[in-house]
Amino acid sequence: MYISNNLLKEFVKIPKNLSTDEIASLLNLHTVEVEKIIYLKEQFKNIIVAEVLEVNNHPKADRLKLVKLNTGDEVLEVICGADNVEEKQKVALALAGAILSNGLEIKETEIRGIKSNGMICAEDELGLGEDHEGIIVLDKKAKKGQNLADYFKLDDIIFEIDNKSLSHRGDLWGHYGLARELAAILKAQLKPYSNFIQTVNYKEANDFKVKIINKDLCPRYLAWRVENIKVEESPQWLKNKIIAAGYRPINNIVDASNYVMIESGQPLHTFCGDKIKNIEVRLAKKGESVKTIDEKDRVLSENDLVITSEKQILAIAGIMGSLDSAVNLDSQSIIIESANFDAVTIRKSSQSLGLRTEASARFEKSIDPELAPLAMKRLVTILKDLCPQAEFISKPSDVINYQENKINQIELEFSWLYKRLGKEIDKNEVVSILEPLGFKTEINNDTLLLTIPSWRAVKDVKIKEDILEEVARIYGYNNIEPSLPEVKLKPLLDNHELKLERKIKDFLSKSAAFFEDYNYAFVDEKQLLKMGVDTSLHWRLANPSSQNYTLLRQSLAPNLISSIIFNQHKFKKLSFFEIGRVFFPVEGDYDKEGRKDNLPLQEKKVSLVIAGYENSFSKAKGVIEALIKNLLGNNQEIEFSILENNHQWSDSNWSIDIKLGSENLGYIVKVKKEVADKLNLKLQTTIVEINFSKLLDIYKNISGIKYQQESRFPALERDLAFVIDKKVSYNKLYKAIKDFNPLIVEVDLFDVYLGDKLEKHLKSLAFHISYQSSEKTLSSQEVDNIQNDLVKFLKDNFSAKLRDF
Amino acid sequence: MMKSKLEQIKKDFLESISKVKNQKDLSNLEHKFFSRKGELSMILRNLKDLDLKSRQEMGKLANSLKTDLKNIIKKTKDILNKENMDDIVDPTLPGEKLITGNLHPITIVKREIEDFFASLGFMSIDGPELESDYYNFTALNVLAHHPARDMQDTFYIDSKNKEGQYDLLMRTQTSNAQVRAMLKHKAPLRAIVPGRCFRCESTDARHEHTFYQLEGIMIDENINIAHLKAILEETGKFLYGPDTKLRTRPKYFPFVEPGLNGEFSCFLCQGKGCRVCKNSGWLEVLGCGLIHPHVLKAGGIDPDKYSGFAFGFGLDRLVMLKYGIKDIRFFHSGDINFLKQF
Repeated sequence: MYISNNLLKEFVKIPKNLSTDEIASLLNLHTVEVEKIIYLKEQFKNIIVAEVLEVNNHPKADRLKLVKLNTGDEVLEVICGADNVEEKQKVALALAGAILSNGLEIKETEIRGIKSNGMICAEDELGLGEDHEGIIVLDKKAKKGQNLADYFKLDDIIFEIDNKSLSHRGDLWGHYGLARELAAILKAQLKPYSNFIQTVNYKEANDFKVKIINKDLCPRYLAWRVENIKVEESPQWLKNKIIAAGYRPINNIVDASNYVMIESGQPLHTFCGDKIKNIEVRLAKKGESVKTIDEKDRVLSENDLVITSEKQILAIAGIMGSLDSAVNLDSQSIIIESANFDAVTIRKSSQSLGLRTEASARFEKSIDPELAPLAMKRLVTILKDLCPQAEFISKPSDVINYQENKINQIELEFSWLYKRLGKEIDKNEVVSILEPLGFKTEINNDTLLLTIPSWRAVKDVKIKEDILEEVARIYGYNNIEPSLPEVKLKPLLDNHELKLERKIKDFLSKSAAFFEDYNYAFVDEKQLLKMGVDTSLHWRLANPSSQNYTLLRQSLAPNLISSIIFNQHKFKKLSFFEIGRVFFPVEGDYDKEGRKDNLPLQEKKVSLVIAGYENSFSKAKGVIEALIKNLLGNNQEIEFSILENNHQWSDSNWSIDIKLGSENLGYIVKVKKEVADKLNLKLQTTIVEINFSKLLDIYKNISGIKYQQESRFPALERDLAFVIDKKVSYNKLYKAIKDFNPLIVEVDLFDVYLGDKLEKHLKSLAFHISYQSSEKTLSSQEVDNIQNDLVKFLKDNFSAKLRDF
Repeated sequence: MMKSKLEQIKKDFLESISKVKNQKDLSNLEHKFFSRKGELSMILRNLKDLDLKSRQEMGKLANSLKTDLKNIIKKTKDILNKENMDDIVDPTLPGEKLITGNLHPITIVKREIEDFFASLGFMSIDGPELESDYYNFTALNVLAHHPARDMQDTFYIDSKNKEGQYDLLMRTQTSNAQVRAMLKHKAPLRAIVPGRCFRCESTDARHEHTFYQLEGIMIDENINIAHLKAILEETGKFLYGPDTKLRTRPKYFPFVEPGLNGEFSCFLCQGKGCRVCKNSGWLEVLGCGLIHPHVLKAGGIDPDKYSGFAFGFGLDRLVMLKYGIKDIRFFHSGDINFLKQF
């Protein structure tokens, strides 16, 4: 919102020695956020008054003219397309470097071989009006070379306020509200708004009636017919005020009602009154439609409030008027509306129609219904001045559907106030903060009884904490000295989740040399389809911000694969990990609202991607084994077994589950060649995914690492190679050997042979097998006996034969 | 028997050493004779099978041979070293390359802040990213159709409840964990919630639909504005050094009353004004306030007995400031040239 310094000064006396920056800073520190200070004059930089000396036709373009101008300093040639340019006119000339209100920067250019040194501007190009019929012609007496801002007396300074910082303060959507704040901050005098109101005489007559059907949606409705008006261009003083607040002047009636809104914060509307009989405010009927003044047809629903006359819709209440009922240059009679509408209704309509206006932005913040009559009176005061011949017909209709002059009070203790502030301040100081804001105060010992002004009682001041805020912000947050709280010591609970996450990240990034990756929770549906993933059971965003991210991920793999693709041209070997949540269409652990059903399951996963290594799959297994032992202890027996549920995108030969006891922790898979080709993934890639919460459950319950005394007796090591069918997995053979005898303490695979010397369906696995007892030194004989039994056992169970080297 | 073996060893050794040309040959030789399974070692180990007298005699012999041979190795080594000195070496050659990985910069900063708050007795907790409308908005005093909902462009999940409304969303703020934490841990309570949040907006160098916040709450008897300011000031000093100052002004957040905006003096220019702080001398990094009594009530806490403060930082903004990262999109880029720098 634009706040004009000049207009503020009409309502509050600002000390002369206070600079613009200081005013902005005070507003920032106590009330709202000033985003920018705009010096209107700078918007007219390099735009000057010039006199037209000669007008000739452009030799090479029929519709263009060559205009010679005197700027006071020099004579320039400019090319102009307007029909109304004539000799001896004073015009607005934008020179090189000027920036027009539509953002166009003026440069010296050449049009069909002739140089143009600037541009003669139309009204709309300067942001001074809507006219684009021709160039703006200035007063004959205008001074050549004068800056246009000086010519129009546009010397205002504008504070641009962040609208978000006003979203709870309907009372600050006009200058008067902000003037009140400044008065409270500066302890300066605020002129009563009634000073700006004069009573007007009206002609007794029987006129239209106002009927409100949905009373709760329209707390107040004032309407007044004015006849014998003359719709015309506004005088410069009014235009200037409108321009300063960021509006374009349209005509005297519209400008005046916009001006009163800018001042008071109350949106007003004017209808062309020629045809209006009676006014009815009601909810629209389903399917009813209206063409609004922006010339768009709007289909309404039963939730939209409308202003009607007979069967005609005059306006969508509080949002926008209809084109048919708009005031035009021929209007003889107008009806002024100053009303109050239900904030939620306006907001819902504005959202469902996709139509946000200055009026709707204000109504949805909740406006004081007692402002409506004030604004009406202010507008007619101005109209009387603009159109002295105007006649006001009967008394204004005023329908009141709320309890008028209701007294809202809050009681609080000074001691409570000081406890929350963290500082004791003088009671009189508290009163001198609240009174200028409109609160009436009554002190009784420690008790402060406050009457809330109507403009604050509408919405934002309801409880004593709201008063705490008023006192604290006007007193100044920076005047409250920081002081650390004194509280009872309480040890922190052991946070297993945090600890485990840190351990995993440390191991993977430091010991395993992986890069930690952060990916979106969203995933590209096209990519999933290329991977053969069924996307029908993925959560979908109702309003995605990009077509590449429409689904919630169910696996970290797709986005990690994208990271490989991103880097594959720059690096030959890549390894990333990520810890993050994935989302499933089943109920999880988090409650939804204290109700019975829970939020969707959103588990944390640990995922790794390894690409470009000679054997990425084997590296992945090695890392996982080391990781789990690092987290849970060296005695953990990890089992890798052939994956039970294969992914559509994984190579079924290279897909295994990671098991710890009975718990399935996750999987390791290689990305299928066909899928890699579709994704343009050039490197051989392996993916690991581990369920974090399962890992956490185990982590929480492990008894911790215990030191194991190494046996005092030496181990005997024997090397054996077994020839077995290729279908028998290493895993099975390993387990068979390991579990065969308690004296077998270590089984370490050191060679796999598949080749010419063996039949095609066979392979050879060679192991170092260590035998050790904690009670004695084993003799060769004892070991030989076990070994013979082992060889026999493997022969019987796996048809394994000892290999001759 | 044993004696002849020793002599054979000596002979073999002397023959081998005459052929040694470099350090590598020498170390192979040393290994051959002296390693655990080396020839001389085996002899010494077998001594235990002899009778006492022979053991003493042979032991002496074998040990003196060992000493002699070791001396020869040492001398040879010295000679080889000397020869080597004459070669031209380049000790400035690069060392063996160690492959390392990295933590994500957000993880690094998150940990630092978690540890800082742990030192003040704040636990670090997490909340769901896919959240209900209730915990993200309603419980935080942002009722349906409140204009404050405009402040955050919410990603809704395409699934409507029985009333035909979207009631699942991607959390727009870590504040969703406030009421959850109150219900679970009760008062008094000190907690931080670092986590990722989502807002439906298009991305550019300064905006991301996925971003990171760090929320903090403290609830106890008589918590006040001065306490809030002190904790935040300490946080600023921790983040940006002991001279850091805090500046606060009003700002509207529906879940706090009063609501404040917090700025730290710029660590780069010490408040003088520079490009990072847009010449203001201050870095706008946080929102805070005293927890609204409606929110305390939603969390099952009696606002007459307890009061509390809440604050929230843009965690990714802190990371960008710390490392001088200018484009927020790097965080989710997966670009190793970015990730390897931290």
